[in-house]
Amino acid sequence: MGDKPIWEHIGSRFIQHYYQLFDNDRTQLGTVERTAIQGKAAIVEKLSSLPFQKIQHSITAQDHQPTPDSCILSMAVGQLKADEDPIMGFHQMFLLKNISDAWVCTNDMFRLALHNFR
Amino acid sequence: TIDVLFSISGHNPEGDTTERRPRRWGIYRRRYNNVSEQVSSGIHPSSHRQQDGDSATSDAHMDTRVRYAPYAIPHCHWRGNFQERVQTHINKEREQNPPETKMEEKKQDETSGNWFKITIPFGIKYDEKWLLNLIQKQCSVPFTPVEFHYEKMQAHFFVENASIAFALKNVGGKICDKNNEKISIFVIPSNAPQTVQKELKSEKEDQIKVMQTPDQVKSAEELDQGKGLEPEDMSAKRNPICTTLPDNSTNVRLVVPSFTPDSAPKLIQHALLRLYSRKHDIPSSPVLGVTSLESDAGHWRRESGHLDGSYLAEWRSGGLLASTRQGCSADSSSYILELFPKLLCLDGQEPPPPTNLGIEAHKNVPSCKGSFFGSDPLKSLVLQFLKQYYSIYDSGDRHCLLCTYHDKACFSLTIPFNPNDPAQSTLFEYFKDNRNMKNRKDPNLHFQLLKHTKRDITCTLCVLPKTQHDLSSFVVDMLFQSERMLCFCVNGVFKEVEVEGRSQGSVRAFTRTFITTPASDSSLCIMNDELFVRDATPNTTQSVHSIEVPTPTTSSMTTLSQEQQEMVQVFSTKSGMSLQLSQKCLHDNHWDYTRAVQVLALCKAKYKLSEEALPQ
Repeated sequence: MGDKPIWEHIGSRFIQHYYQLFDNDRTQLGTVERTAIQGKAAIVEKLSSLPFQKIQHSITAQDHQPTPDSCILSMAVGQLKADEDPIMGFHQMFLLKNISDAWVCTNDMFRLALHNFR
Repeated sequence: TIDVLFSISGHNPEGDTTERRPRRWGIYRRRYNNVSEQVSSGIHPSSHRQQDGDSATSDAHMDTRVRYAPYAIPHCHWRGNFQERVQTHINKEREQNPPETKMEEKKQDETSGNWFKITIPFGIKYDEKWLLNLIQKQCSVPFTPVEFHYEKMQAHFFVENASIAFALKNVGGKICDKNNEKISIFVIPSNAPQTVQKELKSEKEDQIKVMQTPDQVKSAEELDQGKGLEPEDMSAKRNPICTTLPDNSTNVRLVVPSFTPDSAPKLIQHALLRLYSRKHDIPSSPVLGVTSLESDAGHWRRESGHLDGSYLAEWRSGGLLASTRQGCSADSSSYILELFPKLLCLDGQEPPPPTNLGIEAHKNVPSCKGSFFGSDPLKSLVLQFLKQYYSIYDSGDRHCLLCTYHDKACFSLTIPFNPNDPAQSTLFEYFKDNRNMKNRKDPNLHFQLLKHTKRDITCTLCVLPKTQHDLSSFVVDMLFQSERMLCFCVNGVFKEVEVEGRSQGSVRAFTRTFITTPASDSSLCIMNDELFVRDATPNTTQSVHSIEVPTPTTSSMTTLSQEQQEMVQVFSTKSGMSLQLSQKCLHDNHWDYTRAVQVLALCKAKYKLSEEALPQ
């Protein structure tokens, strides 16, 4: 089999795109984020208003799985550095859904890592 | 499939010499387009000469007084000029192309639009077939009339070649109709007929993509076998665009046809290596740069293991890559860097340093918020589930988790990627199952590591190191909740049980995401299980020493009667399962001993669990 399964392709593309946007200009995340609970605008506002100017992510692990209802579960683990803060580990889960031929993030869970890792 | 189009240039500090190349290709077309324009609008020939600076001799014959009048008979004077002009063109053709390439060049000229409109005045009188036959009889060369049509009194058609047009012109005056009247033929250069123009457009686009590789190479595998992009294949014989081997002043445009995304990088690698090894007799050239890249960048695989980027020192992305795809420019640099990690120069600048940020601080971070459940009923449901799950998981009888998973569940395991320790020696037990895409380059293996059925999952879980999870350390986050689906994430630590020769009792931190659906008995059925394991820090390890080994008494099940307790005891002894699990099994089977035994046997037999997975 030559090609990667589609969920890996989409998942890894999404993760790269997401962190690229997040690091460079997170006001653009409106194109990425959407949940049923809060709504796109509120989320983007929240993310934009997070109290840091500069942020940089480095992904050390990612994994993707297809879910029963044709969504994709994506996980990213890595490090981040916000402004001049010390480097911290984080872990983020995304649930991606195919809506009108575009893959959209419907859920996003972010946590700073409690336990250090190498 | 993707199409990749990119240019290679030698290191050329003077900048790019692309200008030189296309002109030669474009000359013929331009000249003829201009000529028809001139004929149609009476433009002074000097303007034409200005545009096409190096064809100084060509248009001295043009008669500036000619105006294009479609329905009139062309001026006699003009006719004479035309003869000379066609001859000049043919001569030029011969000059600029050595004879052996004439065939190919001719072919290309045809496709480039070397068209002539043939007019028979009063042609309306004649039947198409009859007329064409008559002309063909007299004509020294065979011709293919295109778009034959009548316009007012005249008949018209198009032909595609100067020599043919010339020959047709000569037929004029030599043929007679039934009344013995001479039939004249007039020939003027023209644009390609409408139908052909449309075809050409799409054809040309395809042509650009496939022109330069030999037809016989159908796959990257064939490249491996030695068939390949020989520089000679890209010579002027086959394609005027790419003329010589690359050196510091020549641009070579390499066109790669559609391949599967995974093999495209390999194809390019082959091409580049071949080009350079031939030229320089070295396996790689440190100054190779790629000047433009058009592709659907979304299909480039960052994890492609095929492309060895060690030879590539410079990369210059073409404008198209940045502008055609949404979000592409943001990604393309990182794509390129992933493919060619040793780049010294990316788009004229030093590439950004690798992103591994280094050792983290673990002090002075405000304490994290605890678990997030969303609602109390959900909280108790999830906690209950986790307690049961981990009690089984830690018990050593993980095969009993079989019932918890859906038939088509997915499980995967990931460990972090550490460039300094790619083999992950500390997590070696997990490495074999590791699905972290930064480690795994082989897409096939990767796919296999996504465990797909409950049987595979359970088998995999059974061979992972034995664990003791610290439930008090668990932080749970609810990700998503609907009627049918519950998605939550557990963060915590566990200790590996010391087993001689295998595990040293290391403490690990983990994050595990479950996607579950409600099961019949008010418990949850796991659809997706994504586990991430990493080493825990020393200070975390200290706090974990107090992990308790779960005992049967901490089970969340109701207290048992004397009879039930005895049953559990017997069942445990006979089956070899722990008390706790025996209890669960019996409980699930409504305390019907016989049935419980049967179900267990059936479970084992049906799923053909491996030896290791069976309880001892």
